[in-house]
Formats: sequence, C-alpha cells, structure tokens
Amino acid sequence: MSVTVRETINFTIDGKPATAPEGTIILEVAQKYGFEVTNLCYNKKLKPFAACRTCMVEVRHNGKKELVYSCTHPVAEGMEVIIHTEETDRYNSANIEMLLVEHPLDCPICDKSGVCPLQDNTELLELQKPRFEIQRRNEPSIKTNPLIEFYLNRCIVCGLCVRACDEIQGVQALDFHQRGMKASIGTANDEPLDCEFCGQCITVCPTGALMDMSSDARGLAALFKNTNTTCSYCSWGCTVQLETKKNKLVRITADETPGVGINEGNLCAKGRFGHGIVHNDERIQSPLINQGGTFQEIGWDEAIEMIAERAKTTINRNGAESLAGLASEKLTNEENYLFQKLFRNNYGSNQINNLQNLQAPYVNDFMLNCFENGIESKPVTELDQADVVLIFNSDLPSEYPVGGNSIRKGAIFTGTRVIFANPRNMRFDHESRIDIRLIYNQDADFMLANRLCRILIDENLVDTAKVQEQIPNFNDLVASLAPYTADATKKATGLTNEQLKRTATQLAEKADRALIIGNDVLNTGKGKETLNALLNLAILLNAGGEGSVSIYPPREHCNSQGVNDMGATPQYLPGYRPVNDAFEHENLADELFENCANGKIKFLHIAGEDPMTSYKSRSIVEQALDTVPFLVVQDIYMSETARKANLILPTATFAEKEGTVTNMTRHVQKVVPAIPVQGKAKSDLEIFHNLADALGSPFKSKSSSDVLEEIRQTIPAYKDVDPARHEQWKPSGVTAKPAFQICAFEELKASKRDFSMKLLTNNHMFHIGSYTHFSKALTDIGPDCFAEINPKDAKKSELVNGDTLLVESSQANLKVQMKINPAVPAGMVYIPKNWPEVPVNALRNGEDGTVHVKISKSE
Amino acid sequence: MADTDQVVEEEIDLAPTQKILDALPEKSRRYLIPALQKIQGVYRYLPEPAMELVMMDIGISKAQLYGVISFFPKFLIEEPGKYIINLCYGTACFVKGAEIIVNKIHECYKIKPGQTDASKLFTLQTASCLGNCGAAPMAIIGEDTHGTIDPEKSLELLASYKL
Repeated sequence: MSVTVRETINFTIDGKPATAPEGTIILEVAQKYGFEVTNLCYNKKLKPFAACRTCMVEVRHNGKKELVYSCTHPVAEGMEVIIHTEETDRYNSANIEMLLVEHPLDCPICDKSGVCPLQDNTELLELQKPRFEIQRRNEPSIKTNPLIEFYLNRCIVCGLCVRACDEIQGVQALDFHQRGMKASIGTANDEPLDCEFCGQCITVCPTGALMDMSSDARGLAALFKNTNTTCSYCSWGCTVQLETKKNKLVRITADETPGVGINEGNLCAKGRFGHGIVHNDERIQSPLINQGGTFQEIGWDEAIEMIAERAKTTINRNGAESLAGLASEKLTNEENYLFQKLFRNNYGSNQINNLQNLQAPYVNDFMLNCFENGIESKPVTELDQADVVLIFNSDLPSEYPVGGNSIRKGAIFTGTRVIFANPRNMRFDHESRIDIRLIYNQDADFMLANRLCRILIDENLVDTAKVQEQIPNFNDLVASLAPYTADATKKATGLTNEQLKRTATQLAEKADRALIIGNDVLNTGKGKETLNALLNLAILLNAGGEGSVSIYPPREHCNSQGVNDMGATPQYLPGYRPVNDAFEHENLADELFENCANGKIKFLHIAGEDPMTSYKSRSIVEQALDTVPFLVVQDIYMSETARKANLILPTATFAEKEGTVTNMTRHVQKVVPAIPVQGKAKSDLEIFHNLADALGSPFKSKSSSDVLEEIRQTIPAYKDVDPARHEQWKPSGVTAKPAFQICAFEELKASKRDFSMKLLTNNHMFHIGSYTHFSKALTDIGPDCFAEINPKDAKKSELVNGDTLLVESSQANLKVQMKINPAVPAGMVYIPKNWPEVPVNALRNGEDGTVHVKISKSE
Repeated sequence: MADTDQVVEEEIDLAPTQKILDALPEKSRRYLIPALQKIQGVYRYLPEPAMELVMMDIGISKAQLYGVISFFPKFLIEEPGKYIINLCYGTACFVKGAEIIVNKIHECYKIKPGQTDASKLFTLQTASCLGNCGAAPMAIIGEDTHGTIDPEKSLELLASYKL
C-alpha cells in the first residue's frame, strides 16, 4: 500500500450511501457497488479517456444538477449519483445506435461474441430496433503480422488498444490515424505491426476488431470451455485462461476479472501465444528405449519396471548415494515433492538437485537471510502500489514482462518512481515522473549495490543509530564498505557519484519500496556478493528508514521457487529444513554433472529439464550424460538431453496436469488441467507414483491433492495458503537473526587480451527454456537468433547488420547472425540462449562468471 | 526508358531538422506540431529520415508521430509537385463547377485529389472552403489566388505553370 493516504468521500448512488477514496471516478465505484453502467472505453487499468460517450450519469451536487461522463468524473462529498435516467439513457443510446450503423453484426463468427460490451450495452439499453439506416464498412482484414489480425470494420475507435499499448505495455506501436469519419487505429502508414506481441490489445478490444491469429478457432468465445490455470513459462506466475473446445486447447486468453491471478489480465507473447507446445506432433509419443543409438518404442509397464530394477541393482552394487535426480523448475510442487521423496524415502539417496540450485546455490540462502532479517516482502499484487521500484539488472520486457505492466500502472496511478539499473540501455517506457537510469559496466553489479549501501550510511540518509541498535554487525558492514569509494565505483561502474546519490536519496525517502532483481545478476560471477549487497541495502532501508522494503530472489522458470521449497536440493529438505544426520554421506549432487562424469553417480534421473541447453556450461553436461551408466529422461519433447538417455518417458504439458506452482514472489497458484493427457504421455506425478509402486513401496498419496495435503503437513508455510486465491506463503517459524551479509572486496577482473569482449546471454523476449521453439506462433515472431553488438564494435570489426558473426571463447566457437544495437554497450556481445543451433553455453570453459570472447566476421 | 524518368534518390540534408529540434524549448510532445511545421517549411514535406530524427529526439513512437501527421492534411509525407493546387470544394465552388475542374485535371495530368503528377509539377488538394465564395469557383495554385475560374478553361490556366 502506498504511503500517501487519500481522504474518504461519502456520497450516494441511486440513493444508496457509498464511500470511496478521494479522486475515484464514479464508474469505478458504481461497478464496485454492483451497479450496471453502460460504457465501452473504460478499463480500470488505464487512465480515464471518455472516447465512447456512453457512460453518462446524472449527478446532483450543491443543489445543482449535471450530466457527466462517469468514466472521468470523480466523486465528491455529498454528491448524489443517479444512473439510468430517461435523459442519460437517451444520450447514451444515441451514441451506441450510431456505432451500430457501421458495426457489422457478424456476431456468430466474432471472437468476442458473448463477452462483448457492445452486445451487453445494446441489450442493457434495449436497442434491438435500429433507428438509423445501416451503412456497413467493408474494408479487408489486415493480416500483415503473424499474430494479430486487424478487422477494422468492427472497430468502434474506443482507443482501448492504443492506450493499453502505451500505458500498460509502454510500447506505443498503435495510435489513431486520420480523423473524422476516416479515423482508425493502426500502425504508422499501415506498416506491419512490429512490437512485443503481448496481445494486451486483443484482451482490451471490446468488439473483436483485433483477433488472435495463433488460433484457428473463430467465434463465440462464450461457447468455449474456460479453465484458469497458471502459465508455465517465466517465474512471474500469470493466470492464463485456457479456452478449450471438444477437449482441444484452442487458444489462451487473459481473464481481467478482478482478483483473478496476480497479473490483472495482463499477459506476454509467450504466455498468450505459446500454446503451440500442447497439441504438437513433435511431442514424444511413447516411452522409448535407446538400443545402440536408435530409440525403440516400449510399453509403460516395461519402462517403469526397468527403472525400478536398475535402481535396485545400482543400490545393491554401488550404494543408494550413487543414484541422483535432477528435479525441474517447470514441474509442479507436487511432482517435485514426490520426486525428492522417491529419492530420499524409496531409494535412500540425498543426491537430488535442480538447475538453479546447481548454478546459484546461494539464492535460497539469500531468501532465508531476508526472512531472518525480518524482510518478508509484500505480495506482488501490491507492486502497483509501491512508491519506488528498483529494477536491478533485469530487462523487464523480456524477463518479467507482466512485472513491467504492474510497475507502469503504479507509475500512472500511484506515482511510483522507477529506478532502472542495467548494463544495457534497454527500453522500459513508462509515465513515471521520476525515472533514474543507471547504465553501468557489465559485471559491476556488486560495486553499484555496495556503493548505494555506503552512500546511505555516509550521507546519513538512514537512521544509522537505529540500524546499529538493531543489527549487531553494523560496524563490520561499515568496515567492509570502505573500498567502495566514489572513485573506485566510478571506475568500475562508469556511474558518477551524483547519479548514485540521487538514487540512494530516492530509495531512502519514506516509501514502500520494491527491488526486482534479474537473473543476469547470477551470471556475473559475483551473484552471491551482489545479492548480499542488495540484502544489506534492504536491511539498511528496513531498519533505518521509514516505510517498507520488498525484495525477492531472482527466479527463472514457472516453478524455480517451488522446486526449492519442495526440498529438491541436497542442502534442504522440504520447507528449507536443513538435511539432518539421516544422510551423512558425501554431497554429490552439489557437483552433479562433475560427479556423473567422474563415475561416482551411476544412475541419473532427469525430470523435465534439458541441461544440455539450460545449464551454464555445456561441455560438463555432455561428459556427464555420456558417462553415467544409466540415464532416464522424462520430458515433453525430444531434447538434446533426452537424446543421450537410455530411457525416455513422455510427459504431459501444463494444460494437461493438476497441481500447484510457486512463483518468484512466493504466490502458490493452481495448475488446472484443461484437456486430458495427450496420447500415451503420462503426467510426471503419475510416473513417480508408478515408480514407487514398482519399487514395492507405494506412496500413500493417490492424487495431486493428496500430495498437496502431505506438503501442507510437512511445510508449515504452505499449511494455510489457498492456491485458489493466489496467496503468498509467509515464512513461519523463522528465528530472527538480524545480520548484514559481509563479503570481502575483490576487484573486477579485467578482460583477457585475446578475448576482449564479454558475453551476455539470457532469455529472448519471445522464448524461454527449451519448449517455446515448438510453438509456431513464437517462432513466427522470433524465428532467428541474432547476436547484438554496439555500433562501435561493429565498426571496429567491419561488421554490418545481417553479417554472420564468429564468436570464439577459449573453449569453443559458434556462428550466429548479428545485428547492431546501440542499447548494447561497447565490449559486450549479447546472444539469447534459446536457440538449439546456437549453443551459447558451449562457450563456457568451466569457469564461473562472465565468459570472455572475441568476435570477427565469419566468411 | 530515358534517364530523366529514373527516380533519383536524393540525400536529404538533416542539419536543418537537427537545428529546428535543438531550438525547441523542451524536447516534448507539446512542441511536436510546431516542429513539424518548421521542418515542412524547409523540405516542403516531412521526409522519413527527418522523422526518424524527430522520433528519437522528442521520444515518441513511429505510430504516434504518424498519427499526428495523418491528422493534419496540411502535413505531407511525400514530396509534393512544384505547385500545390488548393482547389476549393465548398458548396458555392462545387455548384460553380469545381468537380468539372477536378475531372479535367484528372484527364490531363492523371491525378486525383491528394496525388502528384508524374513530372512532379502539380499536387492536387481540395479545400473545404477558401472563404471567398463570391469568386467561385476558386483555387490557390502555388502562391497565386485565382477566382471565378472558367471550368472549361481551367487547363489553359494550369498550362501557364511550368517546371
């Protein structure tokens, strides 16, 4: 909740008393109190606009009667609002009747039929008999981009799409063109739409003028079966509405109903258009066994039996600890819980891990340290109420697009101040009055964060006496910050002390602050130091400032948080209980791939992950998978990892399974099946149950809800969380241990002479993980991998747009198309990591931190 | 085809655009329209490279910029002919034969309102009313105002304008 408090206004609607905060518009309150007001161009997420002129109401105030548009007129003390008088109905009707002159009444083939405000309002005002002569427009449909069809004959020029594109998405790809009778929405000079393809315009369009072309289905949205579930891509955890017809997923839409999901009906390209992964011929069709390099279909019973037998013999021969499992950041909590239970209880092995914990094991500790310092962080549903948001090394439009939507909304309605810190000068447009951009040198994240801490203390921006009182090792922190002088920071980050002072001042003011951290921080080689510095910053603000601080660990996939909550790590049992003496064995899972490669692990079970492409270093994974004597991979698609398996099991997509996932801000949310499991695939949950049965020690649970019940019993924080209500789990039973996390200062490593450029790799705007490439819609808008370099580097190496770039590291080299992007700083090569044909992780030579490369033109 | 018919892409000097943008009191949308007017004053239309500079400098998207441009018929995005014919299409001029003039121009120069002829001599535009109904039908050609045009003799009038 914002720290600014608005006065409460008392008034009446149709004689009934009502209250609302000062400045609230009549329409919003009327809807809240259950009154139906005609309107076509109002959306709670957008600024008042008053384009359609159909929401007129009568108000009486100070003895004066007025006819006002309820979507722009704020309530006032003592005001009487009267909805639907004979007079207002006459005005409102006339405007809708005029729209119906042109609007094609092709409702049976319209996507919005049944959920169309124009239909609803026509019915509300009883306008079945048109007074005016019909004059239809007959313009052809515009299909110049792969995903969004413009059928402007249906357009009522309400401007919702234009405003959503601008205010919610910050992209401004659409605007009004021409004027008068010719006025229409569209792109500049009718050029093909080239945007972030979030599809927000389709959601807000009231009439079906904008349509989702990724789906063949047309017409009568109301006839499709809707299932609300949680998106399976990034860790923001948006609620998506799966529309199905005859057990087939036809499209994904957003549900804007208040209280549904944490995303207020906002989605991104991946969430909305990435449904092509569900009905797809390339899915693995049956369990497969590797017979000398070729895969043969086998039956499920045989496959499960084989795994159980192999597990038993391996335990007998080499001990339980030689069995290891890689849980998944994409499976549900229930599935991951059962997977670790299978290893710990059934096999007796603690060798279980997940990719995030393998690559950045300090992230969970960071979260626990936050709790111990009393920083619980607010639910992300309150992000739009924050007063200051620090976006730390996250390219929001690609990484957490919908997070960007909430921040933009905050900038408009709450006056959220935005601080954007990133090595790349990425686009993040919003309407905030305060917008501090800190474009700093790659890998200098920890310098920046530590310098901010030091400024807070040096300039007395926080109450240091209060901090000292609350946090025992305050003096150690002060001592550790000594190297972060203005000069050293300027040298390392390229930022002036004035910029940082301004930032620190904004953060220190009495405010509700949110710190959003990007996953890139984890790849700088100083992820732990950076997270700790940000934690110290949060502690300083929390203990020595007024207001609140919310900070969340960076997470990549839909259940990167949950997989750790469920204890799929060698360090923690479910609920972050430390692993006790029951497993007094060597911890092999911390170096999972190394221990496969050196022969200590004899049996590896990978559930729904593709480490060959997802793990930071490809060579060690390749060695591991080639060496380990028995490899089971269960996945939806034939990944590069699966190709190396002895046995492959086909699994279900998110649209076919039940369970819960936990997003990066710890909201536990439901995954609800919309269609039955396709073909011969099985859900991962069923596979684990079958395996336990085959091992002769079946689980007590039978279904996903049984497992959730067991999780609730095991993990106190999950006990009272209702996934149906998108609630955030709160830490329980944490002993307060306030302490700054002190890290020793270490200067940034200079680039090596031969490899003078630094590589940055992360998820592309239209791709994440290894599944999106099977979605036609997403490959249509993001077909090719492009490396991006600064114009200066391009000039130096005589490269132009479209050239093929040869990128060499001490380990490997690869070829990739390139384009010049001034947002990328000189000295950096940016390559998205999502194209199997451009294996960026092959460039790493086993060292941590940023990979150093050199570039040249490929002949 | 003769060499003269080939379209020669001329390099556009962007210095005047930059000068206009630099002189703005504030780089914001509120100064967009005056800036566009000044730029059109230099080039006679709004060339695309200049518009890219405007987008970057003022910080608006292409859709937004061309949304503003297309709202005002006065703003041209293509290079107009040497003379812009502003033909009055108001009630009085229409009754007195403005339509006949349009048809004659179309026959001779193959252009309709909004278009420019191949030799880039004329761009035809129509106006809702030029405010001189007493002299209907009337037109402004380049800088010259012509009243009481005889529709039948309109082509002779145009013939006096040369490239």
